Amino acid sequence: MKEPVPLLSTVRIAKAFGSVTALADVDLIVRQGEIHALLGANGAGKSTLVKILAGIHSFDAGALYVRGRPQAFGTPADALAAGIATVFQDPALIPDLTIGQNLRLSRTREAAFRHWLQWFDLARLDTSALVRDMPLETLRLVDLARAAAREPHLLLLDEITAALTADQAERVFALLAHWKERARSAILITHRLAEVMRVCDRATVLRDGRNVARFAREPAPARGVQPAEADVAETESVLRPRDEHRLVEAMLGAPLQRKQEGSSPLRAEETDIGRERAAFDVQRLASGDAVREVSFSVWSGEILGLVALEGQGQDRLFALLAGERRPTSGSILIDGSPRRFRSPYDAVRDGVALIPGDRLLALLPNLPVHQNLVVPLFNRIRRWLRLPPEEGPRAAEAIDRLSIDTRAAAQVRRLSGGNQQKVTVGRWLVAGFRTLLCYDPTRGIDVHTKQELYGLLKELAAKGAAILLYTSELAEIPLVCDRVLVMHEGRIVDEQDGAAATEASLLTAAHGLENPA
Amino acid sequence: MNGQALAARARVWRHAAERYGWVAGVWLLLGALLVWYATLIPRFGSFQMTSISKNSLPLVYLAIGQAVIVIAGGIDLSLGALLLLANALAARFMEDQPLTIVIGIALALILVVSLLNALTGYVIHVSGVPDIVVTLATGYVWSGLALSVLPSPGGGTAPGFRWLFTGAESGIGGTYVMPLLMMALPALAVFILSRRSRLGLSLYAVGSDRVAARLAGLNLRNAKVASYAIGGAMAALAGLATIAITGTGDPRFSVGANATLNSVAAVVLGGVALVGGRGMVPGAVAAGVILIMLNPILSAMGINPNNAQIIQGILIAGVMMIGGAITLWRERAA
Repeated sequence: MKEPVPLLSTVRIAKAFGSVTALADVDLIVRQGEIHALLGANGAGKSTLVKILAGIHSFDAGALYVRGRPQAFGTPADALAAGIATVFQDPALIPDLTIGQNLRLSRTREAAFRHWLQWFDLARLDTSALVRDMPLETLRLVDLARAAAREPHLLLLDEITAALTADQAERVFALLAHWKERARSAILITHRLAEVMRVCDRATVLRDGRNVARFAREPAPARGVQPAEADVAETESVLRPRDEHRLVEAMLGAPLQRKQEGSSPLRAEETDIGRERAAFDVQRLASGDAVREVSFSVWSGEILGLVALEGQGQDRLFALLAGERRPTSGSILIDGSPRRFRSPYDAVRDGVALIPGDRLLALLPNLPVHQNLVVPLFNRIRRWLRLPPEEGPRAAEAIDRLSIDTRAAAQVRRLSGGNQQKVTVGRWLVAGFRTLLCYDPTRGIDVHTKQELYGLLKELAAKGAAILLYTSELAEIPLVCDRVLVMHEGRIVDEQDGAAATEASLLTAAHGLENPA
Repeated sequence: MNGQALAARARVWRHAAERYGWVAGVWLLLGALLVWYATLIPRFGSFQMTSISKNSLPLVYLAIGQAVIVIAGGIDLSLGALLLLANALAARFMEDQPLTIVIGIALALILVVSLLNALTGYVIHVSGVPDIVVTLATGYVWSGLALSVLPSPGGGTAPGFRWLFTGAESGIGGTYVMPLLMMALPALAVFILSRRSRLGLSLYAVGSDRVAARLAGLNLRNAKVASYAIGGAMAALAGLATIAITGTGDPRFSVGANATLNSVAAVVLGGVALVGGRGMVPGAVAAGVILIMLNPILSAMGINPNNAQIIQGILIAGVMMIGGAITLWRERAA
């Protein structure tokens, strides 16, 4: 028995951005008439793979076949021509044009577009409205209808249900079922495992840029002939109902080991000092649909972890806390008194400092280390005319304490990522702070510097600082955090003890699933 | 049913007000200024109409070109220099030539200048150097070329060619039909092209959101080159209109530099957002005429022409602040 040529297959595809390997070696096979789930934790390489399939990125090594014919897409238009239509996480609709103009621009037949819109109960959509004025969920459905109207063989849907209501998601699934009946295929990238269990025939799990597991919903048909490529022969596991936890295990890596020994975080009893009152208190904070009535407290001397999958509103939450955005409702209390931050200036004055994930957002890349360290002090008007002598020593002290490598100190942008991050932290050591908001501070930092940073955070907490730490690296949570909050779809859905939390328990909660008791 | 129909109609009106409100406002301002001017001077007639319409031709052309480039996400500081170059070339080669040859030269100039600027657009796309830097540099080059073609004011053109833009073979008096027609035809052509064709929509798309435009499968290079080609053609027209109005060529650097700044001012006043993707050609047309009209109005009011620029600056700033206030108020309401 011969297996038909798959609709789409990649063989050992690899892609690196500079020195960062995004995809190491990925084999993906999508057959005709199947809904295929592409799964993986943050940073596993899903979005890079999607962009390669959509023709946005080229690949460095390996091969891409569509119906058995090798392809190398140069532009998104090439991918469309090969029958692959993609719905990206951010709709590819031009904000300053109307829906109708967007359709004309992409040569979409309006009749076909209307036909697919009916699936979403949007038949009466006003195509003369500006895209800019429409809600995100409508735009995603419009983008999907447009992609479907091109009649591609393969729909590539990146987190299509993320912004949708449950009802709208149902309609998308109905469309997918119909799509499958017409012997067409779709790749679904999603964090919602329940969806995978319901609508997907097969699943490929990526981890660290490799495909580490394949699942098939039903027992795979007997395989007489092995496909030619070596790795393709890897067997698929059968996925039965209620097997979500196996998917999570595959995303994490096989052994679900407990946290490492000997590095227990500072426990509550050691830091009793500030326990009576919360240093930083958030009450029913909301911002549109991104953040929904979030409440929590950070105590002095505590490191509070925050865990979430991509796009669950954590970035918006940090923007609210740091004063970059104003909340729709709810309040932020510092030492029990409500504050209204109009800008980060207000937040900094109240001792709330942000360490962003993208270090270059915070640093002045062309200025020397020294000036980057003392820049918050420029806030004080009496210092505008001179750099008072005491600042030199304070900067030097911070450099010493953080052991910042100053060989390239003339321009911060020449420092390594880890050293840059130390400068962003050191700046607040110089200026003084009470609450530190860390948004994925260890992104792209080597292990050694990571440990230094975490050591520093613990030390700061021990001295009475309140620290909120969002990180995408779940393994690190038990090492540093006293408590962990889990955010899902804009809400805090779970709180776990830092020491007891495991990658599995956090990831399960982050997917909106209940942890088994 | 009535409620729904009413709501739909209200929505259509709100959309229209949001989208065309600024353009309508600029045209209303132009109308009001015209009426005011008419009451300021003893006799308002076809002479003033001709004078205003022909004198605003060069700026209106430049504003149209600049609007297209800005809508597509760029900005062109070389448009005034291209005006100079076209003007100098025309003055040098049209002198003492019969009308047919003059027309031929004019068409060739439009094509050549358009290609030159298309090349600029291509360089910007390929090099990744910001528009403002590249066009600043090319502006110096074109100004220098204009000077070497025509080292001092001089040259000339055919009387028939002057009639084409000014309505009089002598360039004085004459009918306002010709200048208005020469203003309306290119403006309408570019306006319709920009709003109705796929090319025009892709210019808006690229200016509005480069990433989304790329994801939608648009060719960013073609959009950049096309917008600069249109800008170049309009700059050539502006140079031709200048020689038709004055009868001679004038290669002075300051003429081009002023024209560039005025074109940016007209685009901003006309409601084209400098960040790209928003605004329309007719707004820039009306704003161009307004900027030219200020001079006769202020002199009719007895204000020293040296102070006219102060008024012009205050007007631009004031109008833009009103625009900002409206946007802020709308966001608050939403």
